[in-house]
Amino acid sequence: MSIPAAQMAAVAKYVLEQRLAGREKYPLVLMLEPLFRCNLSCTGCGKIQYPVSILKKDLSVEDCLRASEECEAPVVSIAGGEPLLHPQISAIAQGLVERGRFVYLCTNALLLERKLDEFRPDKHLSFSVHMDGPREEHDLAVCREGVYEVAVNAIRAALDRGFRVTTNTTLFEGADPERMRRFFDDMMGLGVEGMMISPGYSYEKAPDQEHFLRRERSHKLFSRMLTNPKRSWRFNQSPFFLQFLMGKRDFDCTPWGNPTYNVFGWQRPCYLLQDGYARTFRELMEETDWSKYGRKSGNPRCQDCMVHCGFEPSAVRATFASPRSLTESALAMVTGRL
Amino acid sequence: MNEPFPSEPRLSELVERAFDYRGYVTVLRSDGSEMIGYLYDRGPAHVDLLDETATRRTRLSRDEIVDIRFTGDDPVRKSQEIWERRKGSLEPRDSPAHGEWAGSRPVLLAVALEQELQHVARALGLRRHRASARGRLQGSDIVALAVGVGGSARVVSDEEPRVVVSCGFCGALDPTLEAGDLVLATSVRAPGSEAVRAPDALLAQAHRALSGLPFYEGEVLGTSAVAATPDDKRALGASGALAVDMETHSLALAANKAGIPWLSVRAVLDPQGVTLPRFAREPRKSYLTAALRHALSSPRGAMEIARLASAARRAGASLEEAIRRLWKVLA
Repeated sequence: MSIPAAQMAAVAKYVLEQRLAGREKYPLVLMLEPLFRCNLSCTGCGKIQYPVSILKKDLSVEDCLRASEECEAPVVSIAGGEPLLHPQISAIAQGLVERGRFVYLCTNALLLERKLDEFRPDKHLSFSVHMDGPREEHDLAVCREGVYEVAVNAIRAALDRGFRVTTNTTLFEGADPERMRRFFDDMMGLGVEGMMISPGYSYEKAPDQEHFLRRERSHKLFSRMLTNPKRSWRFNQSPFFLQFLMGKRDFDCTPWGNPTYNVFGWQRPCYLLQDGYARTFRELMEETDWSKYGRKSGNPRCQDCMVHCGFEPSAVRATFASPRSLTESALAMVTGRL
Repeated sequence: MNEPFPSEPRLSELVERAFDYRGYVTVLRSDGSEMIGYLYDRGPAHVDLLDETATRRTRLSRDEIVDIRFTGDDPVRKSQEIWERRKGSLEPRDSPAHGEWAGSRPVLLAVALEQELQHVARALGLRRHRASARGRLQGSDIVALAVGVGGSARVVSDEEPRVVVSCGFCGALDPTLEAGDLVLATSVRAPGSEAVRAPDALLAQAHRALSGLPFYEGEVLGTSAVAATPDDKRALGASGALAVDMETHSLALAANKAGIPWLSVRAVLDPQGVTLPRFAREPRKSYLTAALRHALSSPRGAMEIARLASAARRAGASLEEAIRRLWKVLA
């Protein structure tokens, strides 16, 4: 596993503080969407289908920092849309870093190389580059030729300049486990700090509805991909979440674990479903009927979901649930065995 | 005549459909007025709308809604149609990196050398990293690049700017121009080729921005070799051009081809009567080491370098002032 020690320590401290304070529901990662517009239109994306005036709308730097202060999550994932299209994205990232947040700036990397000068390398800032597999699969998923190559060059440039870089891979029906294992080798060969993987969510608004993975298929795919993991592979995720993907552990979703803030407000209930908006983080936490979400709720939209934004918080909660689980997780981290 | 109020189940169904719809709707109200907006949330007694400019939020009571019409385009349907149409084929490799969002395209300032880039970066308060300086000023993205002597027009396609500015130093072809004088190009021409005219509107704005500075307007000649001696410059000056450089022509051609407005503002480094030292006649990445070597080679060499350094200081100061003033137009 590759989560830096300082980040692990900050998250562990935060979780223990929440538990000592007796809080049942607390956020781990703020999903910040400062804009919805994107320079790609990927086949499995349901995030960008809005009228142009809404796509042109940007959250201000102040809005973004206020949202982070409201929810206090130690980690902020800046998503979108393509965050590098936001004219003040470096100020947003810098402001969050100055507040001690660990920032993952998610990007398709089309603009990364030419925007690097706007950022300063920092242990709190990581570029999380969207890479949906080897060259052919990635270009197909993002519907544009040459994007894999651009992203690889941008990763190299960012690493050369001393930035932290991780990759973020979404998998769909038809992914080949053997090719994915070679892809993991390629990414580690580039020198990225770690990789994140997740099955895609079946967005209702996405154009391609045929290739979303169902739960059993996800288990099979991830099991074949991650069994006997190579020691060189580093994942920027908790071992329990990876074991969940492989079908070795079962969790229900923690929908409040990764709350989402965007141009409409605090999205109910999670990053993937849009059942309305709260004006404040407190309103989101206190007035959302959380019993309507998660697999056990019977909500059909949650049945096949295994996405990290809902289940990574569950995995972290399970890790801290007992000394035994903490030990199991630490062992998996040290040995790399899943 | 006012429309009748819908039944509660009918209203609930309409509100849910509108909430699920990703386009604009028109809400008909009981007072006969209409409101167009994006319905982004709803509660037991209200709906929330974002207006068509996506700036104003309005909360309407459900009691005042008599109908909701789906009047805006449906982005989900549009996205599916595009996907169906291109199924199996990919967008080409050279699609714009900014996608359709041209508003966020930067202003590109291209110079030849890193020494010239220092002046541009200083004028705009940018941080320079090797051959590039990027940043944002007054709401506009800026990218300033040292493209090398002779320049690479590829930067225009790579950066997809909204304006291209060729700037830096030049040699004077007109004998009245002195070191530090500014030249605003009305057109640029390579010897024996047709002139590429700068866009009138941008040129007029630049003219106003530079007024009060010692600047001259006219044609700039683009050459592929350094015009180093007074004889060279006199011969080129017969064309009527005011000054000579090695980057503006290729940048202007690339900008024209891409439909991007361009501008060229240059500060005179070597007046027409000045002979450039031999080391300055070959394109190099940096002239610093060669200049030092030349200065140490003989007392005459030292004098030449001292004169050139003085001219470079004047040209640099003029260039910085010009860039500062032009930025008001470019931003």
